[in-house]
Amino acid sequence: MGKPKVGIFGITGCGGCQLEILNLEDQLLDLINAVDIVHFTEAITEFSDDYEVALIEGSITTEHDVERIEKIGSIAKIVVAVGSCAVNGGLNCLKNLYGTEKANALVYGDKKEWIDTIDVKPVDAYIQVDHYVRGCPPNRLEIVDVVRSLLVGRNPEIPNYPVCIECKRNGNTCVYELGKTCLGPISRAGCNSRCPNSVSGCEACRGVIDDPNVNAQKDLLAEHGLSVKDIMEQFNLYNACKGKTIEQT
Amino acid sequence: MLYKILDKNHHKEFLSNLVANVKMVGPKKKDDSCHDFTSIKDVDEIDTAYQKTTIPPAKKILFPSTENLVRFRLGETIESEGLLESSETVLFGINAWDIAGMNFLDRFFSTDFADENYIAKRKALTVIGIDTEPTETNFAHYMDSEYVIEGFDLYFTDLGDRFFVRIATAKGNALLDRFAHIKDIEENDLKDFNKYMNVYRKKFKLEINMKNFLDNFENIYDKKGVWEELAEKCYSCGSCNLVCPTCFCFNVKDDINLDLKTGQKMREWDSCMIPEYGLVAGEHNFRPSKENRLKQRYRCKLITYKEKYGKNSCVGCGRCIEACLAKINIAEDINAIKKEVNV
Repeated sequence: MGKPKVGIFGITGCGGCQLEILNLEDQLLDLINAVDIVHFTEAITEFSDDYEVALIEGSITTEHDVERIEKIGSIAKIVVAVGSCAVNGGLNCLKNLYGTEKANALVYGDKKEWIDTIDVKPVDAYIQVDHYVRGCPPNRLEIVDVVRSLLVGRNPEIPNYPVCIECKRNGNTCVYELGKTCLGPISRAGCNSRCPNSVSGCEACRGVIDDPNVNAQKDLLAEHGLSVKDIMEQFNLYNACKGKTIEQT
Repeated sequence: MLYKILDKNHHKEFLSNLVANVKMVGPKKKDDSCHDFTSIKDVDEIDTAYQKTTIPPAKKILFPSTENLVRFRLGETIESEGLLESSETVLFGINAWDIAGMNFLDRFFSTDFADENYIAKRKALTVIGIDTEPTETNFAHYMDSEYVIEGFDLYFTDLGDRFFVRIATAKGNALLDRFAHIKDIEENDLKDFNKYMNVYRKKFKLEINMKNFLDNFENIYDKKGVWEELAEKCYSCGSCNLVCPTCFCFNVKDDINLDLKTGQKMREWDSCMIPEYGLVAGEHNFRPSKENRLKQRYRCKLITYKEKYGKNSCVGCGRCIEACLAKINIAEDINAIKKEVNV
C-alpha cells in the first residue's frame, strides 16, 4: 500500500490552522514521509483533485465556498475538520449574529452586490466530517495525532473534558484567583490549557463539553462582575454557530 | 524516633549546604495566590511561610501528571522497554497533611500491585517536613493529619529560637551529620515542643462531625436530596481530583510516533468526576450522572480506605474546597449529612 494522499484545504478563515501544520518544524519531515501531501492551499503551488484524506480549515461563508466544499466532500474518503471555523463556524459566526446582509453592507458599502456572502456554517453543515480537530488555532500536536491515528487505523482520542483538567495537570493557579474570568470549566480541553498557562482566561475556542453546566458558569461570571451582555459576548465569541449557542445548550 | 535541636543561627547554613550538594525541591512563591514546589538553586528562593500550593508537592514528584511508562518498537515481534525515571531528591518544606497524603499514595502504589515507577521515585526521595499555617478550609486535625509520625526522614518544628528536629530514618540522620550543626535535646526542649503542638493544633478552626457522617452516609446514599443539590452546582471539571494529594487515578494511552514503528505507553492524571471515567466498551457508563460521581468521590475519600487501610484517603488539606469554582465544600457536606437524615 502506498502512502495515503492528503489534501490540505483552506476555505474561509485566517489561514492560521494551515500555518500550524507548517509550524510543526520538528515533525514536518516525518509527516511528509508518512503521507503524500498532494494539495496544500497555503504551502504548495500545485493543485490536485486526487486525494483520500482532506484536512479542511475555515468555515463556509460564500456560495463559492459551498461549491468547493462539496467538491472536496465528493472526492475525499476521510474528512477532517481542522480548527474552530471548520469545526463549529468559529469567529466567523459573529457575522450571523450581527446579520449577514447588514454586515455585508457595513464592510463593502456600495460594492456589496459583488460579494455572494451567506450565513456562516461549519464544514459538517454541507459534507460528512469524520474527525474534528478543535481550537483556534488547533493544537498542532493534535493534528499529528489524528494523522497517526488514521494511519494505524484507530480513532483519535480527542478529549471531551473541560480545560480545568489540563490546567491542573499543568499546575496552574486558577485564573479566577488572579482576578480574571475563564470559560475553562465548560470548555473542551485538548489545547493543553494554552490560554490559562499564560494567565489568560479560556474563551472556549474548542467549543463546549457535551454536558456543560451553563447556569453555574453564568452565575460564576456574574459573581466576577460581568454583565449579562458581557457574558453573552464571551459565550458567543467562538460558539455562535452550530444551530445552538452555549446559551441554548 | 530520635530528637535533636538545630539552633536558628545554623538553619540557613544547613539549607545552603543542602542546596549546594543535593538536588532539592522546596516551596517558592509563585504568584499573589500560591506557592509552588520547584527545584531550588539558591537558598534565598525558599519561602517556608506558605499556605497554599495548588498541586501537592509529593504527588507532583512521585506521581507526575504525565509520565512515560514503556517505550516500544513494532516489527516482526514487539520490543518493549520499561521506563523508570528517578533521581535522588530532597523534598524540603512539605507539611504534615501533605506527608499524610504521600503516606496514603505510598500505601496505594505498593499494595496489591507494586507500581515500579512510583516506587523508584519514592526510594530516591528524602523528605524533610515543616509545619505551615493551615488555610481556612483546612480540617487536617479531624483527619489525623495535622501531625505525622512517619513518612518523613526529618521534621523541623520551629520553637522560636531553635528547631526541634524529629529524625525518623537513618537517611535523615546521615543528612544532619553531614550538613548541620545539631545538638542533643534537654528536658525543656521536649516541654516546649509539646507546648508548641498545643498552640499549633488550635490554629485549625474548621469543625466537622465525622461521626455523624459515618453513621448516616449509607442511609442517605440512595436518597436524592443532597446529591441532586450538589449535582446542580458541579461542573464535572475534575479540579477537586487533580489537586487532591491522594487522588491516584490515571488513564493509560499508547502514543505512536509518525514513523509508525516506535512509540510509548504513557499515563496521565484522570478524574472520576468526568463522564468518560466510567465509560467502558459498548458505550456503557457505570456512572453516567453527576450524582453518581459525586457520591462515589465522597465514599472514596471518606469511607472506602477507612475500611481497607484503616485510614481515610482524605487528609483534610482543603485544596478541593479552594479549587471548586462551584463552591462544593466537602467539610460543609460532611456536616450537612446529619441535617439530611433528619428531614
